[in-house]
Amino acid sequence: MNRRDRMMDSLDQDIRNHIEIETQDNIARGMPAEEARRAALVKFGNVGRVTEDTRDVWSWVWLEQLLQDLRYGLRMLRKNPGFTAVAVLTLALGIGANTAIFSVVYAVLLKPLPYTHSEQLFTVFQQLSNDKTSATGISYPNLTDLREQSHVFSEVAGNTHHQLTLTGHGEASVINTSVVTGGFFTLFAEKPLIGRVFFPEDDKPGASAVTILSENLWRSTFGSDPAVVGKSINLDKRSFTIVGVMPTRFRFPQVAESEQLWIPLAQDPLFGPWVGRRGGHWLQTTGRLRDGVSTAQAQVELNTIAARLAKDFPKEDDGWIIQMMPLQQLMILNVKSALFVLLGAVGLVLLIACANIANLLLTRATSRAREMAVRTTLGARRTRIVRQLLSETAILGLLGGAAGVALAYWGVQSLTSWLPAAVPQVNPIRVDKFVLCFALLLSAVASFAFGLAPALYAANASLQSNLRDGGGRAGEGVTRLRARNFFAAAQIALAMILLVGAGLLMRSFAKLTSVNPGFDVRSMVKANVALPRTQYSSPQQWTAFADNLLGRIQAQPGVQESAFAVPTPMDGNINLGFDIVGSPSPTEAESRTADYVSATQNYFHLMGIPLMSGRLFNEGDVASSPKVALVSRALARRYFPNQDPIGKQLSFGFPPDGTAPREIVGIVGDVRDMGLDQDPGPIMYVPYAQAPFPGADVVVKSTLNVSSVTAAIREALGQIDKDLPLGDIAEMPNIVGESVAQPRFRTFLLGLFAAMALILAATGIFGVISYSVSRRTQEIGIRVALGASRAAILQMVLRETLLLALAGLAVGIPCALAASRLVAHMLFGVSAHDPITILAVAVTLAAVAALAGFIPARRAMRVNPMVALKYE
Amino acid sequence: MSTKEQKKRIELLQGTLDLLILRTLLLGPAHGHAIATAIEFTSDSVLQVEQGSLYPALHRLIKRDWISVEDGTSENNRRAKFYRLTAKGRRQLTLETSKWNALAGAIARILRPAEQEGE
Repeated sequence: MNRRDRMMDSLDQDIRNHIEIETQDNIARGMPAEEARRAALVKFGNVGRVTEDTRDVWSWVWLEQLLQDLRYGLRMLRKNPGFTAVAVLTLALGIGANTAIFSVVYAVLLKPLPYTHSEQLFTVFQQLSNDKTSATGISYPNLTDLREQSHVFSEVAGNTHHQLTLTGHGEASVINTSVVTGGFFTLFAEKPLIGRVFFPEDDKPGASAVTILSENLWRSTFGSDPAVVGKSINLDKRSFTIVGVMPTRFRFPQVAESEQLWIPLAQDPLFGPWVGRRGGHWLQTTGRLRDGVSTAQAQVELNTIAARLAKDFPKEDDGWIIQMMPLQQLMILNVKSALFVLLGAVGLVLLIACANIANLLLTRATSRAREMAVRTTLGARRTRIVRQLLSETAILGLLGGAAGVALAYWGVQSLTSWLPAAVPQVNPIRVDKFVLCFALLLSAVASFAFGLAPALYAANASLQSNLRDGGGRAGEGVTRLRARNFFAAAQIALAMILLVGAGLLMRSFAKLTSVNPGFDVRSMVKANVALPRTQYSSPQQWTAFADNLLGRIQAQPGVQESAFAVPTPMDGNINLGFDIVGSPSPTEAESRTADYVSATQNYFHLMGIPLMSGRLFNEGDVASSPKVALVSRALARRYFPNQDPIGKQLSFGFPPDGTAPREIVGIVGDVRDMGLDQDPGPIMYVPYAQAPFPGADVVVKSTLNVSSVTAAIREALGQIDKDLPLGDIAEMPNIVGESVAQPRFRTFLLGLFAAMALILAATGIFGVISYSVSRRTQEIGIRVALGASRAAILQMVLRETLLLALAGLAVGIPCALAASRLVAHMLFGVSAHDPITILAVAVTLAAVAALAGFIPARRAMRVNPMVALKYE
Repeated sequence: MSTKEQKKRIELLQGTLDLLILRTLLLGPAHGHAIATAIEFTSDSVLQVEQGSLYPALHRLIKRDWISVEDGTSENNRRAKFYRLTAKGRRQLTLETSKWNALAGAIARILRPAEQEGE
């Protein structure tokens, strides 16, 4: 027995003794025995509190009471499994959703990029000084000058990516290739798994062709060969020597698909010849700031360099400025606001969940009023009771948090597989230590949020009335009733905000997907064919190849139609400036641009793009015949207002022989080639035979399934050249679907959260009205006994429900209007204050509330007055 | 009553009660009831406290080694706990008494002119 137990033992004896002596003294003073004892007890005061206070002297009060509270709390929760299950489940939903979304926000927005001193990495870009939206890459000569003249950057490197064909290792395959300048790996301070990285010498003209493999490619295609360095591989039929392997975790943030290998820019068959050109803005450029250099200092130097370039090379660089932006900021530009909106949405769901649990606790506090009264009588202080009740809710919070984290683990897995490509995943998205801390903190804050008010109310319970009332049924104070109604109305208001947001996104998404893209891609498959330049070097060969392949594909069974095009809709665009022959050159600000498409003659019929006037391409439009072009209706409208463009001539500097004037022979319908949410812009089409590429998308319409069509194309391709791989095979409808992946993703998530909010709010209303009915059973009984009709009772309860709902809506509508501005930029064809959406949501909420209130109202209607009056 | 008020009163009581217990035990060991009665008597019932609040104070003093506890027999022939002042407690009493006197003197000096003005 320790000292405290001994002392507490002696205390009991002491107290008994004390009261005994006092009683004897009182008797000696002439009091009757019974009264003497009572007077002694009164004089002594509250024995329970004295014992407790004395125990406090001897113990680790705080810790001990906490343990005691937790034990008691656990017992209480076990005794009410129904309540515990509902509360934990509600909380798990709220915390799970928050944790899952937070793990995405954390990995994408908050966590630094996984590079050494990633805060020093900046993307450097050129931009027209009069057009803030024109951010673009940098040409190789400009990049070289920037790298040599700058003192603020320790390294500047450029990269771009495309695909090359790997042959000689099994079946020919298409490889995602990153083309980089010599300082690229030094810039990121990344070490290779084996071998070495590139050095600036590798990027000099005349250096030997080298390549670095990614760990994945090394493992999959080269069987993790430890002696792979020094071996050769063929890319586009050219030999490259492997000098190193980079670990999987290294990837450039902005590449949607991980790089499979890297080659120096000078060796690139596609862009290599461009290194001498100062015009053009094609290298994504990244710089690392030196230690201690501020962004303001760096920007000053960039301005100086830009001015020097503009002076020395006015033709290419006049009007262009050089800007910089943290690399991470660049990556999250498009996803930031959507992610924060989602985070806000799950925050609201958690608030509603908290309000729900607070109401459950308030109800329970009423039924536990007698328990609290007894505890107070036995000497428990108010703070002590509040602390005990808060411990109970803390247990609830932790249980809910644990279940929520489990939900989040599962949620994050499905989220990441669902995430649109625009969300960068350089940092793996997962429930890590930091996210777990967040969940824990959230559980603690949440349990405090829903526990405090009920605990205070419970501890405040009037002692006398509670003891008298026995069960504490009629003993509820007006304040507690108000608190309950407040929480229920608040739930409605919060749900309103979420539902309006989700409703707007849904309407917007419906409009987006029902928009006419200008083409019809049902039962069409697309694949990419790239021709190695070493073997197919002349435009004549490219045209001949296209004719040959299309002819062979056409001969395959089941193929209805096929065409070649560069590029196909929703798959990037080539935006070119052009001149109208015979009309004055426009100023820079109003330069004429249009998207450029090279297509074979049956492309328009295949894609369902209608001819508006003039003619389509035909067999006569070949390399040797007069150059022709088709324009889209938007181009005709914008650049030939009130004129007939047919017969007019265009000229543009691409491809190389493009300066020759092209006669417009027809106008075709508009196509949303950039995405369903973008208005169709001006497009010009040229015949593939007059502007061929060393590779293009082949589009095939067929009644067969994808794999059969793919097999048919492969078969045809193999007949021509078995070393040519087929890349980017996709069903065209999926590509169109992919273009709305981001809006679909956020619409789905916000819709899901709004549904959760609606269900929680409905159960909240149900709980409050049910409780109100059971509390008023006696009153209702009296009303019925006095002749109130069933309908009147029903009406009375429903009125109470609707009043709650209306109070919630009255607050919720202005809040929703304010909050919907946050999603305004994500909306397509719907105003952020769309009255139809707001009305529909308000009606839905009122209807759901009425339904939730109807169940208890029906119970109230069936109250038997005899039973009700005997109730207490 | 707010918890803050309650706390203030308890603090005031604690310090005073400790002092009164030590003062009482200066006369010799006593059991709880005797201490309570003595305090009530010597303070002319000015300090009307519930007698029970004596016990947490006694245990606090034991913990600080200012008093010790021993078994004995009470006047009604029952076994009872007797509390005795320790040497440390005696020193503490001297210290506390002089502090208390200084404080009381200071308060008296502050209040006197006010009383005169009030009259």
